[in-house]
Formats: sequence, structure tokens, C-alpha cells
Amino acid sequence: VARRSGSSAQTLSVLASLEADPTAWRHGYLLATETGLRSGTLYPVLIRLAERGLVEACWEDGQPAGRPRRHLYRLSSDGLAAARAALAEQVRLKHRHAATAGRVGGRRVAARGA
Amino acid sequence: MDRFTGVLAGLLGRSAVLLPAARREWAEAVLAEMGEVPAGSARVAWLCGGLWLVAREVATVRRVIRVLAFATGAVGLVWIGWPGASSNSATPLNRVYVTGTVVALAVLPWVVRGHFGPVRSGWAPRAARVGGYAMVLALIAAKAVKDRYGSKLGAYFVIVPEFWVLEMVLLLVIVGYVAGLFILTSERIRLTRWGLPVGIGFGAVTAGMLYALAPFGVGVDPDGPSLKWWGVAALALPVATGLLVGQLAARNTRPTVLTPEQGALQGCLAASCATATAALLVAVLTSVTIALFPHRVPLEGTPAAGGGPGAGYIAGGGCETCDPVNTVIPPGLRHEYWVEISVGQAGMAPLAFLSFAPFVGAGLGAFAGGFASRSRGTRGRAGGGPHGPSPPAPSQPLGRLRASDADREQVIGVLKAAFAQGRLTKGELDARVGHAFTSQTCADLAALTADIAPG
Repeated sequence: VARRSGSSAQTLSVLASLEADPTAWRHGYLLATETGLRSGTLYPVLIRLAERGLVEACWEDGQPAGRPRRHLYRLSSDGLAAARAALAEQVRLKHRHAATAGRVGGRRVAARGA
Repeated sequence: MDRFTGVLAGLLGRSAVLLPAARREWAEAVLAEMGEVPAGSARVAWLCGGLWLVAREVATVRRVIRVLAFATGAVGLVWIGWPGASSNSATPLNRVYVTGTVVALAVLPWVVRGHFGPVRSGWAPRAARVGGYAMVLALIAAKAVKDRYGSKLGAYFVIVPEFWVLEMVLLLVIVGYVAGLFILTSERIRLTRWGLPVGIGFGAVTAGMLYALAPFGVGVDPDGPSLKWWGVAALALPVATGLLVGQLAARNTRPTVLTPEQGALQGCLAASCATATAALLVAVLTSVTIALFPHRVPLEGTPAAGGGPGAGYIAGGGCETCDPVNTVIPPGLRHEYWVEISVGQAGMAPLAFLSFAPFVGAGLGAFAGGFASRSRGTRGRAGGGPHGPSPPAPSQPLGRLRASDADREQVIGVLKAAFAQGRLTKGELDARVGHAFTSQTCADLAALTADIAPG
């Protein structure tokens, strides 16, 4: 089945946002504002990425005054490689799409058996 | 607004316990970020997203949900079906039904899984299983309520052994429905993709129409006004389902040809599913209606002239199976007896129909499915001769089959996908698409994608 190995647009935007500064730890709301995703979309993406080992997550050290501790995220080394590959793939596909302007992948191409 | 935010935050904090420990920190993370989000609607939206997250994550723990849902249903059934006065003759029957149903619903999944594999992938088989369980639970609960109402004068509704046998047969039929439901939705049953939705959809529509004709069930009177519609439905439903699913299966197996035997099997499975759905749904709807509105059930028979209500019915023989000694009903109880016997008898026809509906569907559906694939098969062949015992589908020669527009589109889809994956150049794509449009046979089309690996 011709299904691109790539990620959804939401996942890509999260990866792009994390990849912009791979060493920095970011908290969820920051990612949400950067990607424009709602919490109900962003966190499932983060959970999946964390389970695949692409994102590291930890709780902030120490107890900051006046607010609860933050849960922080950054790309793992695998994640960084995967993010760069996925973003490059996205750019390549965009060019392809612009070239054909066809509806590639819009149809189901697998012949389904009875 | 602040209070509302507080309530949502509390809700999120509490619902996080529903998650497995490894996932809980994510809900806590959403909560911890709350302070960063500007107060007001943005914060509410943030928290709602967190609740959505919890709901999603909980829903992925399917096994827990399944067990909980089944336990709730079983407890509900026991709660509705178990109670009953000891003077009520339906009480022991209801308890046997409740026990038998709960045991069957709990055990059958494992038994069927051992022989037919796990649930088939896709939304339809799962939805069918959930819906089927709900239907069976509702049917047994409604039947218990109805029978309890119809047997309050237990002394006059003695359940004789023959009646017990009948009722146990009916219970076995219902267990058979549950088994059939599991088998039809199992992995090893190769029902074509739209077979199940089509069968269930057609069955449900038919059930709705039959129910509208007689909400309290067809009377025991065989000349009843709606009985002929049952006949029409029993004929039309499996034939229509078998024909459509036969066609769908033929389309789905392209470019190989569906043999008439395979078409018949597809039609048989889908149509038995359709008639079973229709019969079960009518039985459920009718029984629930009677259970909810027993006082509106039309009374059976007409009182003899001057004999008072109920007198004619009893004088005319009464109910042979449940009144073997022809007990004389005291005049004061005659109307009550009449009402109860009417309620008890109402809805029996749909229940009886349960026992043979799937077989009618299987037979007619097999015929229709075989017919559908046969007519398609001969049209698609250049020679067109009679089929006879056909070789299995994969070994059918493709070359002589004429290509259809759908075949061409499918090949063009494959080519475009291959181009997107970098397997073809733009020039090669254009050339091959051009060939696809002018190809006459399936062999020509197959040649265009022969050097492209699937997927």
C-alpha cells in the first residue's frame, strides 16, 4: 500500500518546532503556541514521539516559586535525525506536489481481496 | 469563568487516575502548564484538550473498556431480569434466561476465537460486535419484563415441560446468534469489505419497516395484515443483499475473477447477516415496546357474545400449552387473565422468526451472490462460455479480460503513487498514464505496473 512512511502535518510541525533549537528544553504551552496546535492534539503527538524514543521528557528540577513544575521536552539524538529526515522529506514532497499538481496518494491503490 | 476553569482543572486532575501510571504524567503536564495559558477561553480550551487527551488514552485501553462495558451490561440484565415474585410462573424461566445469556456472552468470545481467530480489522466488525451484544442484552431484558407482566397470575400460567423445551430452544437460538455474530466478524471469515455494513444496514432498514407495520408484533393469526410483508421481506432482503455483495466482491477481487462459488459464499454470508440482523432487531424493538407499554398491547381474540371480556378466549380453548388442565378462571380474574395472556403471546412471532431467518438468508443469499458473480464473470470474458467447475480465482488468465475504466483508474493511481515515491520519472509517468487510457485488456494494464513493487 502506497502509504508514505512520513508523519502527519501535526507531528511534522511539532518536530519542526523542537528541531529549531534541539538542545533546549521546552514546555508544552510553548510548543502549542509555536505550532498553533491545541492541547488535545499536541499531547497525543508528544506521547507517541516519546514512546518511539524520539522525544525526551522530564519534569523541571526544583520547585519554582509561584507555579507548578513544568514537564519539559526535547528531541533525543534519534529524534533529531528522524526530525531532519522527515522535514527534508516534506520539502521534497512539496516540490513534487508543485510539479505534478496531481492528487497523488488520494486514491486507495491497494487491490483488496475478498 | 474562573470557577468553571477550576472545575475543569479538578476534573482533569481526578480523571488522570484512570490512566495507566506511565501515561498519568502527561495529564499532569497539561495541568502544570495551565498557569502559562492566558486565563479565559484559551485556558478552558487548554483544559478541554487535556480531558480529551485522557479520554483518548483511556479509550486505547480497549480490554479494560470491553470488560467494564460487558460487566455493566451483565449487571443491568441481572438487575432487570432476575427479580420476580415466587408466585409468578415466569420467574424461574427468566432466571434461566439471564444466567444462560450472561454465561454465553462471557464464554463464547473465547470459544469462537479459538476456532476462527480474533476480530477482523476495520470498524465494521467491531461495531457489529458491540451492537450485537447490546441487542442481545436488550432482548433478554425486555423479554423478561414482558413475560413477568404476562405471568402474574402464575397459578393459571403453569409452565408445562413442552413449554420449557420451546423456551430452551429459543435460548439456544439466541446463543447461536451470538456465536454467529462472532464467527461473521472473525478474521478467518473472508467476507468482502462492504459485506458486513451492507448486510447489517439492509437488515436494519428492513427491521425498521417491519416494526413500523406491527409495533407489538404480528399476531398469532396467520392472516394478520402485516404477515405478508414479512414474507416479502424474507424474500427481498436476502436477494438484494446477495446481489449487491456478490457485485461488490466481484469488484474487490479485480483484476482476478470471482468464481460463482466464491460469489455464492459471499452472498450467503452477507445475506444471512442481513436477515439475522433484521430478525434480531425486530424481536428487540417489539419486545422492548411490549415491555415498556404492556397496557397498550392489543387484546387477543374477541370475547364471546354476552360472556364478558376474556370469556370467549378461554371458552375457545385458551392457551393449550400453558393451561393444560383447562382451569376455570374465576370471573373476577378473567379480564386480568386476558390481558396477561395477550401480553405474554404478543411478540412471539418475531421471536419464532429468529430461529429460521438466518437460514432463509443464507439460502437465498447464496443463490443471489452466485448469480451476481456469474453474470459479471461471463460479461467480463471474451468467450463467455458456461462456467462449470472453475479453477480458483488467482489462476484465472487475466489476459483476455477487457479492462474497465475503474481498472484504468486503479492502475493510474498506482503509477502516481510510484511517481510520488520516486520510482518513476515524470516522463515515464506521463507515458504510462497515456498507455493506461488506451489499454484494452487487463494484461495490458498489468504490464504497466509489472515493474513497480507494491506499497
